[in-house]
Amino acid sequence: MGVRDSHGETTGTPDPVDKGFATLNTIRIGVKAMVQKDGELRKAEILSIRQRKDGPSFYVHYVDFNKRLDEWVASSRIDLSQEVEWPQPDKADKKKTAAASKAAPSKNVGATKRSRADSRDMSQTPDILGGKNVNVGKLARPSKAGGKENLGADTPGGDTSMFPSEAASAVATPKATESEDFEMADAPAESKSVKEDHVQMATGEVITRGEEIERLRTGGSMTQNPTEIHRVRNLTRLQMGKYDVEPWYFSPYPDSFSDVDLVYIDEFCLSYFDNQRAFERHRAKCTLTHPPGNEIYRDDYISFFEVDGRRQRTWCRNLCLLSKLFLDHKTLYYDVDPFLFYCMTTRDETGCHFVGYFSKEKDSAEGYNLACIMTLPQYQRRGFGRLLISFSYELSKREGKLGSPEKPLSDLGLLGYRQYWRETLVELLIEPNREAISENELAVLTSMTEKDVHETLVVFNMLRYHKGNWVIVLTDQVVEEHEKRLKKEEIKGARKIDPARLQWKPPVFAASSRTWNW
Amino acid sequence: MTRYGGLGRTRPKKLTSKASIPVVRESEIDAIDDEIQSSLQQIETGVEKAEESEIHLQRAINATAQGKVNEAHIPTPETILSNLQYDELYPPIFSQPATYIRFSSTVEDCCGCPYNMTEEDDVFLKIMNQKRDPSAGRCTEDIFEEVMNFFEETAQMKQPYASIDNPPVLSFAEMQDMMDATLEDPMKIFAKEIYEHWKSRRMAVQNNTLVPQLKFETGQDTDDSDPFVCFRRREVRQIRKTRGRDAQSAEKLRRLRKELEDARELVALVRQREVARREMLSMERQLFKQRAEVKEMKRKLNIKDDDEDLINQKPKKRVLDMPPQRPNAPQLRMPLKAGQGAEDLQLLEEVQAEKENEILRDIKQNITKHIKWNEGYVDHTRAPLSPSPERTFDVATFRPAFTAQLPTPPSSESSGEMDTSLDVTSPLFARDKIASQAIDLHDEPPHRMPSFRRRVGRGGRLMIDRRNMGARKVDMDPIKADRFKFDQEDSDEEYDYDTDAYSIQIMQHRAITMAKAREQAAVAAQAHAQAQAQAAQAQAQRRLLEQNGQHPGSMGSNLGPGVVAVSET
Repeated sequence: MGVRDSHGETTGTPDPVDKGFATLNTIRIGVKAMVQKDGELRKAEILSIRQRKDGPSFYVHYVDFNKRLDEWVASSRIDLSQEVEWPQPDKADKKKTAAASKAAPSKNVGATKRSRADSRDMSQTPDILGGKNVNVGKLARPSKAGGKENLGADTPGGDTSMFPSEAASAVATPKATESEDFEMADAPAESKSVKEDHVQMATGEVITRGEEIERLRTGGSMTQNPTEIHRVRNLTRLQMGKYDVEPWYFSPYPDSFSDVDLVYIDEFCLSYFDNQRAFERHRAKCTLTHPPGNEIYRDDYISFFEVDGRRQRTWCRNLCLLSKLFLDHKTLYYDVDPFLFYCMTTRDETGCHFVGYFSKEKDSAEGYNLACIMTLPQYQRRGFGRLLISFSYELSKREGKLGSPEKPLSDLGLLGYRQYWRETLVELLIEPNREAISENELAVLTSMTEKDVHETLVVFNMLRYHKGNWVIVLTDQVVEEHEKRLKKEEIKGARKIDPARLQWKPPVFAASSRTWNW
Repeated sequence: MTRYGGLGRTRPKKLTSKASIPVVRESEIDAIDDEIQSSLQQIETGVEKAEESEIHLQRAINATAQGKVNEAHIPTPETILSNLQYDELYPPIFSQPATYIRFSSTVEDCCGCPYNMTEEDDVFLKIMNQKRDPSAGRCTEDIFEEVMNFFEETAQMKQPYASIDNPPVLSFAEMQDMMDATLEDPMKIFAKEIYEHWKSRRMAVQNNTLVPQLKFETGQDTDDSDPFVCFRRREVRQIRKTRGRDAQSAEKLRRLRKELEDARELVALVRQREVARREMLSMERQLFKQRAEVKEMKRKLNIKDDDEDLINQKPKKRVLDMPPQRPNAPQLRMPLKAGQGAEDLQLLEEVQAEKENEILRDIKQNITKHIKWNEGYVDHTRAPLSPSPERTFDVATFRPAFTAQLPTPPSSESSGEMDTSLDVTSPLFARDKIASQAIDLHDEPPHRMPSFRRRVGRGGRLMIDRRNMGARKVDMDPIKADRFKFDQEDSDEEYDYDTDAYSIQIMQHRAITMAKAREQAAVAAQAHAQAQAQAAQAQAQRRLLEQNGQHPGSMGSNLGPGVVAVSET
């Protein structure tokens, strides 16, 4: 990766943040300004600009807010009476000239350009990183990092103004070990989101780069995988089943979908349409009424279907595209073959409605029992996520293995898991006559890993050192919550996975089906 | 850093996962400084570092830490009820089966024609149908979609790289080649018109597909960084080539080949067998026909015989072991008197019935004889072996059963006897003669050659197993044998019993002799073991002496390595 090119100047200490006043005309991508959000002013970075009849609108990312809250705002919401932070100028200029030299043949400003912009080569990324606010992916692909990249130093045909926001993909060497994470890859990618870039710039980019190389060199396959960071959502709104849903993140649906206001998703086959008439025609023909796999669990309330990514490639791809809209760290870089998809549905007379799912590697080298988990937004906050998590551990129990979810977790994932872990452990610990238990026993009883057991105890302040001995303390707080939960379940009825209703044997795959993925 | 709150100066014990930890309620322990405790352990959240600091997540984590679970809330974009006519689009057609659903059809199987018409197509179709002569039939939406789909698929097939190299839209003539194979006749009528529509739509999108497609790999360099490119094939892991692996796979192939050849061989053999069987059947058939002819001929020529040549004769069982003492056993088969057959015509059935009767009569006779024999005797054997009727009379046609009864079980015997028994060259004739007499008592086949086997047992003992030895007094010379010729006790008496090997007396006799022999053998074995032990002891003593005398040569030659090692230490 070593060849540094003409961008050498970036290695120097970054300039201090450049502040000043701006007007609507001088505001450009990368600028950080104060923006009205829910009645208060928050610092936000401009990621994209588009011209509307009633003036420009800006796509902003609020600093220290999750990306799912990024949004388009009218110029009136930007407070120009305060100074803004300018992006690093030299970098931007450089991009501009480079980009200018190549005509961008893109016809629609949104998508096409974005994709072009990303095609910049990787070996130069260190420089880009060091440079302005680019929230860039990292260099990767050491193998390809030959001189070629250095020659083609800049984006072939990106629109300059778009660049910073668009150049969002991180590509790393796809070291294809078979069971590579394809979802939730923790690619270094995300760590490069805006605000962190600035932090890194402050510390000097040499370190960043060194870290990066180190990560590539020593990291497992998981960290080497490319993830797209697409910072501007491409879909505006989604129609699915009885609901209209706002997507949270970018997902690589066909790029022409960026232009339409509403994308239709068939609730059963998860096919996507940018045209209502076509969607209606499709509905008239589609006969699917449940996920196309085997039902492995059924109770009065929900069913679970097991769908093999290899056998149901189209459906699983549709599913992944859909779930990418709500999972920031999922990557669709690789195909779905090495995964099984466990889909939860509710039933009525029209069919089994997809509510959420989790995916699981057919053969996880690191002992993960879950790769990716998602409840559709229209079904969130109803306890489905907990059922999904609980089901994943039920499968692990059937396999006789301890398991843990693949990292990184999303914020919602972390909260969901912590809650499940705490409730599960407290339920065991509070049993009458429970006088002592080891972490290992807890792990075996719950199929959680010992690490997760330990960390959960610590996080909830239940593991303490008392008079020279370790003790597990059932704090008043967890006991109280446990009782609250019991009371609630009494009223509402407990929704639990009943292991007796699970008709499932751990599937066995021949080595050939795991390694030979096409 | 080295102080742990109020816990004293000591560092906390290491906590292992197997260690049993007491579970207590908060009230049971002293309140101590929680903050210091919790600050001891930093726990990773598993969330991306860059996102850990997000305000809403931090708030939620703090809220749960303080027990306010309900406040642990992360804001997400809203979802609202759609104004779509759900009930029309999703008809209530689902009925849940009683058993769990098993399903393997794919999306493609379930969605019908992949092309779905748009508003633009609707307009076109309407106009097209209006223009058409009503009698010529109208183009339905389904037909329209099929035709459009055909154009799309053909274009995709003929110009797989249309998105890259921008070829001109496929001409109708090119389409027609494919049409015959795929489109049904009623659809072809509309093809030309629809083609124009399809072409104009393709032109509008720079000859891209009409249905937006996902972007897959195209093999270009830009693939890697294009965020729209998804679902790449996974690279297959290269297996390192080593000599061992080569040998392994070669061995596998060899084995596979052998197995296949074995299977082929089996099949060939089966075929051979079936062919032979067929041949046999046809031969039998031929035989049957010829016999029918023979019979016909016999009738015609008035030949009268027993028609033996008309039935299949079972090959006679070889009566090799027939004892010479009973050469004149009565023949069951009626001897045919020459000339008789020629005089009066006998039917085959008659002859056979007569034979049958004779056998039955014989059997009855013998049963009565047997009953008479046993008169006045009470059978005391615990599980009386009721002799089958055939056994009780002396009919040569029934082969004697060869119960290989030796007077004593073969056992280790004194070495003197062994030596002589090894002497196979001793006068065979006399021995055989005596042997045959002795063996007669037990229905032994007299013509069996005695056979021997030499074994080396534990501790170097030499053992000879004998078989068909007959008598024990084999080591006599002819003159001595002659002397003892009439010296055998009860020889005549026993000869009487010869016919019934299962009579109680003989069985008792045998049991007693065997028990005696066993006792004898046990005693002999004991003696032998003692002798061996003594010998071994002596040898060990000798060795010990040798060792003490520091004779390296003898040590090396006589002792195993283990023993050497012991002596060295």
